[in-house]
Amino acid sequence: MAGKLLTWTKNTFGARGKHQKKVAFVSLFHTFQRILELNNRILEVMADMGDKLGGDYVFDRQYINSSCRQMTNLVHELIYHFNALAPKKYSALDGIFRSINIDIEEELAGRLVIPQSEYVMPYEIISRDFADVVGGKNANIAEIKNRLGLAVPEGFAITTRAFKSFFDYNDFQAKVEGILNAWEDAELTSEAASKEIMDLIKSGSIEPQFQRAVEKALKHLRHITGIRSLFLAVRSSAMGEDSEHSFAGQYLSLLNRPEQDLLQCYKDVLASAYSPFAMEYRRQKGFSVYEVAMAVACQCMVDARISGVLYSLDPLDPTSEVMVISATWGLGVPVVSGKTNADRFTVSRESPYDVKGLDIVRKTERFVAKERGDCEFQPVIEEMQTRMCLTEEQIRDIAEAGIMIERYYKYPQDIEWAIDQKNQLHILQARPLNIKAQMSQVVCDISSVTEKYPVIFSGRGIIVQNGIATGKVFMVQSDGDLDNFPNGAILVARETSPRFAKVARKANAIITDVGTSTGHMATISREFRIPTIVNTGMATEILKPGQEITLDAEENVVYEGRIKELCYYGFMEDAFEETYEYRLLRRVLKKITPLNMVDPYDKDFNPSGCRTYHDITRFVHEKAVEELIDINNDRHPDAEAKRKKLKLEIPLDLIIIDIDGGLKETIDSSTITTDQIQSVPMRSFLEGLSAPGSWSREPMSVDFGSFMSSLTRTFSSHLVSPRYVGQNLAVISGEYANISLRLGYHFNMIDAYIGNQINDNYAYFRFLGGVTDPIRRSRRAKFIYEALSQNDFNVDLRGDLVIGRIKKLGPQLMERKMALLGQLVGFTRQLDVQMNSDRQIVKFIREFEGLARADNNTKGLGREIQ
Amino acid sequence: MSNGEKTTILILDDEAIVLKRLGPALEKAGYEIEVFSRSSDASSRIMEKNFDIVITDLKMEGLDGMQFLTQVKERSPGTEVIVITGFATMDTAKESFQKGVFDFLAKPFKLGEILETVKKAEKKIKQAGLS
Repeated sequence: MAGKLLTWTKNTFGARGKHQKKVAFVSLFHTFQRILELNNRILEVMADMGDKLGGDYVFDRQYINSSCRQMTNLVHELIYHFNALAPKKYSALDGIFRSINIDIEEELAGRLVIPQSEYVMPYEIISRDFADVVGGKNANIAEIKNRLGLAVPEGFAITTRAFKSFFDYNDFQAKVEGILNAWEDAELTSEAASKEIMDLIKSGSIEPQFQRAVEKALKHLRHITGIRSLFLAVRSSAMGEDSEHSFAGQYLSLLNRPEQDLLQCYKDVLASAYSPFAMEYRRQKGFSVYEVAMAVACQCMVDARISGVLYSLDPLDPTSEVMVISATWGLGVPVVSGKTNADRFTVSRESPYDVKGLDIVRKTERFVAKERGDCEFQPVIEEMQTRMCLTEEQIRDIAEAGIMIERYYKYPQDIEWAIDQKNQLHILQARPLNIKAQMSQVVCDISSVTEKYPVIFSGRGIIVQNGIATGKVFMVQSDGDLDNFPNGAILVARETSPRFAKVARKANAIITDVGTSTGHMATISREFRIPTIVNTGMATEILKPGQEITLDAEENVVYEGRIKELCYYGFMEDAFEETYEYRLLRRVLKKITPLNMVDPYDKDFNPSGCRTYHDITRFVHEKAVEELIDINNDRHPDAEAKRKKLKLEIPLDLIIIDIDGGLKETIDSSTITTDQIQSVPMRSFLEGLSAPGSWSREPMSVDFGSFMSSLTRTFSSHLVSPRYVGQNLAVISGEYANISLRLGYHFNMIDAYIGNQINDNYAYFRFLGGVTDPIRRSRRAKFIYEALSQNDFNVDLRGDLVIGRIKKLGPQLMERKMALLGQLVGFTRQLDVQMNSDRQIVKFIREFEGLARADNNTKGLGREIQ
Repeated sequence: MSNGEKTTILILDDEAIVLKRLGPALEKAGYEIEVFSRSSDASSRIMEKNFDIVITDLKMEGLDGMQFLTQVKERSPGTEVIVITGFATMDTAKESFQKGVFDFLAKPFKLGEILETVKKAEKKIKQAGLS
């Protein structure tokens, strides 16, 4: 496009040599054009990066680094040009940009950016992205609360950063290393070395800043629980503790401790990182001293009536397809440590989770929290001793939660739970069940197993979220169907919908006929890690309700039947999302893609409201158009390139800036009519836009029409000073037009040159959906895609960004294409409201074709022979 | 590979994400896979066993991928080597083709692309075996 522009600029101005003021405007317009190009480029790179999360690509660190840097450079350049257009007006953008860039660079350098405080993170703001900072235990329990919506104890994490700063503040590193060296050299026994280090840690002092952060977190906890004096469980949440390196049970867990003892408890838990066992274990596994970084979980105590453990798959017999629940009265510690007998239930892994076997034992003691802190064993009264401690309903609740957690983490789980006095189930801890060894015996040769199952379809559609799932097909045709969605079913639908969020906790997988990998639903699938394939084109036709299928959304295959082995195979793999690179990409994208700057009339629509690169890009785009109008108005009141308001039959406020020969001479009014336009591409565009049928479509009630007209007028006259006349702008010359339209919440940009040199001719059309109702938006994008493709445009569809290009046609045919774009803009502006279903895309395409043909015939513009 | 045995593939890449994505995908497609994140380990492995196909990154810590594929080709000329790299330049591509590399894929690539490339390499090996 830049080359074309140069040609155009040269043709228009160079040769004919216009006066200074106009040249100045041209250079500004040039800047404006560059801004539009950058804007496009940024959106494209953003879409590409988002695609990589789907799992269909193999990418590496280099990709993340280079695409982030590319993005940063593009945004930087965008701001640079914008500053040239609006000098010093939005200088705050520079600072915002820098801070986003610093955050991204920090992430790329491997330093996680922690919001709020370095020392403490409340559960509400923890996600799996912070696992390195808060440890596995905290990250898991916080995700179970925040993402899955299950009850967990309120609490906060003391971070690994706090651990490091505690060591630094007390100068422990060198001392601990010295002791460890002596131990390595066999000068000290494990016990002696351990005691020295533990004593050292327990005597350490807490930095005032750290202490304040903890006090603040406690205050917040008192506030949200309404408890005046808290009793806490303080547990280790070390890195790697819950994953492949099983330190399970080796670190200290303190129960029911008064809040004033928290910091001492904290030190005691830290010290347990240097128990003789932990030291020995790390030595064997080759951990370095620097890798010890313990986060700590601080949780409110649950007043447990019944507690226990759930294995979501029986570890002793994984192929038996059952879960195992152990339960006892009181707190669960004795069950976890295996110190006491517990009731044992085997439960089906499928809804409604029938109990398949039970073993009720005599429970003579229960472990309970004492009123003033600490815990003790108490005798259980005779009649309760032999009573089954869970009802069938409670078993179901636990089982359902267990399967939900397993589905989310894509791995069988070892879950600690408790039921309180009010019969509320709380999840206390969840970690992967250690069954890799058993699994490897079950799965031997995966390709020979899958060969036995018929493939229903493969290689169709786009993988949005990878993973493996089995289940029964459940067709969703309307929102009402979502209310009846069975737990563990596979959602099959014609189109993607953000409303599927409603069943995100229940669906084992999602398959749709149409959709894109960048839509809103894609985000939901990824957040909930639901294996998802969209755009298969045929799922609803081929799959039958109730049919049992297996979706392998890693290889993009749907099999008939339930391939258990494939699921087990999935358990064996470390999930793709668990890799460092994947998490890194997710984290950097959080600084890049979310769009918060939605409404240009919102009072927060200013530089300081920008949180991401997308926000900056959106803001710059909006303001650049506004600036161009203003610049022209303010700086060149007498220039020929003056803004004029175009009078149109249709309700569209459009400002025209003529830079050379786009309008008939000797017009001296601030308003012009269409017949005064000489610009070839602009004239054709307007012809199409105002052609019968393209702007207002029947049937439409009067009220509805006026509603639409209020949408397409970009401002209300009483709200905005007359100086700011909206964002619909066309910059034209005799052969050129650049048209920016904001209709409702979406953008159209058309850039075209039509002259006698066929090789210079081009038309570029860009459509970007707004932020309202993502489904209809994507339908409209799809419609535009189809309409443009059918009319020989080279089209690119990415999410709801549609780009159409056509070039090197003779002037007549180019004019025809411009008229078509005009029709298309007019036609689509209201489709948001009308596109209630996907079938309508086809209907509208036909209608639009008819319209375009009719218009063609009346104008006698048949196919031009090149 | 003959006698209905599985095609054997060695994958070397120092980034976990590549191995975790590629290993299972190829395994499920019916190949026998060994993955290595350290070139020294992969190097000693090819001294013990000839693989049908080797997939390797070019830029890694320690031994250079180019050196590694040279070793592979020297040791077992029949092994087809597929290069995957995030730093694709014309020069590196040219150099690897000169060294007899079967194909060259720039990261990021789609799983389908590498599967296709592997299939082509497999076909070539089979044809070589027949002639």
